[in-house]
Amino acid sequence: MELATMQEGAVVSVTVKGRLDSVGADLLKARVSQLIEAGTARLVIDFAQVAYISSAGFRVLLIAAKLAEHANGALALCGIGGEVKRLFDLAALTEMFTVLPDRAQAVEALANHRR
Amino acid sequence: MKRPANLIYALEERPPWLVVALNGMQHAGLIAINLVYPVLVFRLAGVPASMLASLLCAGFLVLAIATMLQCKRLGPLGSGYMCPATITATYFSPSLLAVKTGGLSLLFGMTLFAGVFEAVLARGLQRMRAILPTEISGVVIFLVGLSGGIAGMRAMLGAGAAPVSAAEWWAAGITLGSMIALNVWGRGLLRMMCAFIGLVAGYVAAVLLGLFGAEQWQSVAQTPWLALPEFSHVSWSFDAGLALPFAIASVAAAMKTVGTLAVCQRINDADWVRPDLASATRGVLADGAGTAIAGLMGAVGINTSTPSVGLSSATGVTSRVVAYAVAALFAVLALMPKLAMLLAEMPRAVLVAALLFVLCFVLINGLQVMSSRLLDARRTLVLGSAILGAVAVEALPGLGANAGAGLAPLLGSSLVFGTVLALALNLVFRIGIGQKALLTLDRGAADAQKVEDFFAARGAVWGARSEVIRRAAFGVHQLVEAVIENCWREGSLAIEARFDEFNLDVELSYRGELLEFPLARPNERDIREDEHALRHLAGFMLRQNADRVHSESKDGRCSVLFHFDH
Repeated sequence: MELATMQEGAVVSVTVKGRLDSVGADLLKARVSQLIEAGTARLVIDFAQVAYISSAGFRVLLIAAKLAEHANGALALCGIGGEVKRLFDLAALTEMFTVLPDRAQAVEALANHRR
Repeated sequence: MKRPANLIYALEERPPWLVVALNGMQHAGLIAINLVYPVLVFRLAGVPASMLASLLCAGFLVLAIATMLQCKRLGPLGSGYMCPATITATYFSPSLLAVKTGGLSLLFGMTLFAGVFEAVLARGLQRMRAILPTEISGVVIFLVGLSGGIAGMRAMLGAGAAPVSAAEWWAAGITLGSMIALNVWGRGLLRMMCAFIGLVAGYVAAVLLGLFGAEQWQSVAQTPWLALPEFSHVSWSFDAGLALPFAIASVAAAMKTVGTLAVCQRINDADWVRPDLASATRGVLADGAGTAIAGLMGAVGINTSTPSVGLSSATGVTSRVVAYAVAALFAVLALMPKLAMLLAEMPRAVLVAALLFVLCFVLINGLQVMSSRLLDARRTLVLGSAILGAVAVEALPGLGANAGAGLAPLLGSSLVFGTVLALALNLVFRIGIGQKALLTLDRGAADAQKVEDFFAARGAVWGARSEVIRRAAFGVHQLVEAVIENCWREGSLAIEARFDEFNLDVELSYRGELLEFPLARPNERDIREDEHALRHLAGFMLRQNADRVHSESKDGRCSVLFHFDH
């Protein structure tokens, strides 16, 4: 799995590429913790290039959402479609997250987020 | 069956009478295009013009009966779909051979034989499902579109065709343009009636442009308004030498019916996954009965109308009631020779333009049915060879002409040749395909790519649906991830996948503890903080992912079976 981050104003978007399984989940958790510790609490995770997400991936998303909330920020997910959408529905976790169609809309939503 | 959102009137719905009547007319008009085949066969047999109208009327009566048999569901007959009958190109080549060899009596006798043969074939359809896979139905539909489209182009632009005049280009443009414009940008009734309005516009343009000339008017004028179909000319004979070509055409007709009905099922059901063979069997039986009746009543072979189903797909009207209207119109045409003759004299510019419009939908429906399955090298070769073979027959007409008498019927029709080639290659390529596959994972090398590659390869060999293969691969990957830390104690993990057309079973076994598969998802807090809850989330997802899960542990060996309906 590969991660790419991009600062867009007060928001940082993290693009995930590949499989978000137990190995990828550890990498993503480390990156999110690092960003929040560095003072970035508004995070977008872009799933447009994700092929697969396992239970470990969902866990790290729940942890990231809680960390962002504790830091007075927020987490938004975007680019969820196809097989990944099926897996979100399968896990019955879609409603636990703020989900937007694409990165631009997710960044805009978080840029307007009030602490 | 889930109603697709794009349908305006679905199979069981009853549209207003105006919609039914106008739709019936446009389907009947579209099917009338195929009158060209019996006209050519009867002219070759030396039938006088006065008798031609009577033969065409008998043909319309057969179409009325066959349409009712197909759509109404009577006893073991009929698919129940809005799938009218039509005169078919499939029997064209053997029919020409029959009239050349033994005149009309041999044509009718062999058509009767072909109908009975198809009906017998229908009874074995369920048992033969392995040799008649979904993708071959798709390629047959595709070839119907391809061969029909090329025949249309050839009628206008072929080497032997009369040069296309400016008036014909105008008439064709008006016909095709109005059909496309109404279908793409039209709403409601205009979209539903696009083919009928296009045909009327084409006829009007043809008359104004002088394409419906004195000869056509005279032919129509000499035909009476009302007359009962005449059967005094009907007699039957049989020639064993023609049994093979008619049997081959019969197989192609059966495959085309299966394919056409698969399209009917697909456009009527948003959840469609595979052809329903019970319905297809009834449909092929009705189709065979229709052709047998054609032989008995003095007409050429019939088949389900794929362009008509393409039109249903284009207009969003698949109501069965429309089929009854089509049958009623055929019955009226059987009693009104003048109207039958008017349709038989359809100007070629109008005919070709209408054909090209509906065949676009037929071609794409065929591609969609083919691509609903994963295609490995074997299936790619089967489908690719069938398409190339059919194109070769179309592009090199000398193939059929130079072949011996035995092969001429096979090479005389691209649809028949492509279908037979696909069926034969499918049989050959079944050699060496195991329906069971094994994969062993070691704890240190249990990577996801290996699992994905295994399922992708087996799915393509089996021709399985990609969606089911994705679910199976996810199931294995997620289970391995969930058990690797705490449940899978030692040794390797064995995966056995078993497949048939209706089931995919994946059984995993390892030494250690069983994973739980709870009915309810653990709460978010527990998922975040408790390793146990994380495994429960995995088990919950796996239970949702498969259609059935069974797990057991015996002497420290755990076994988990995921079942997927296919």
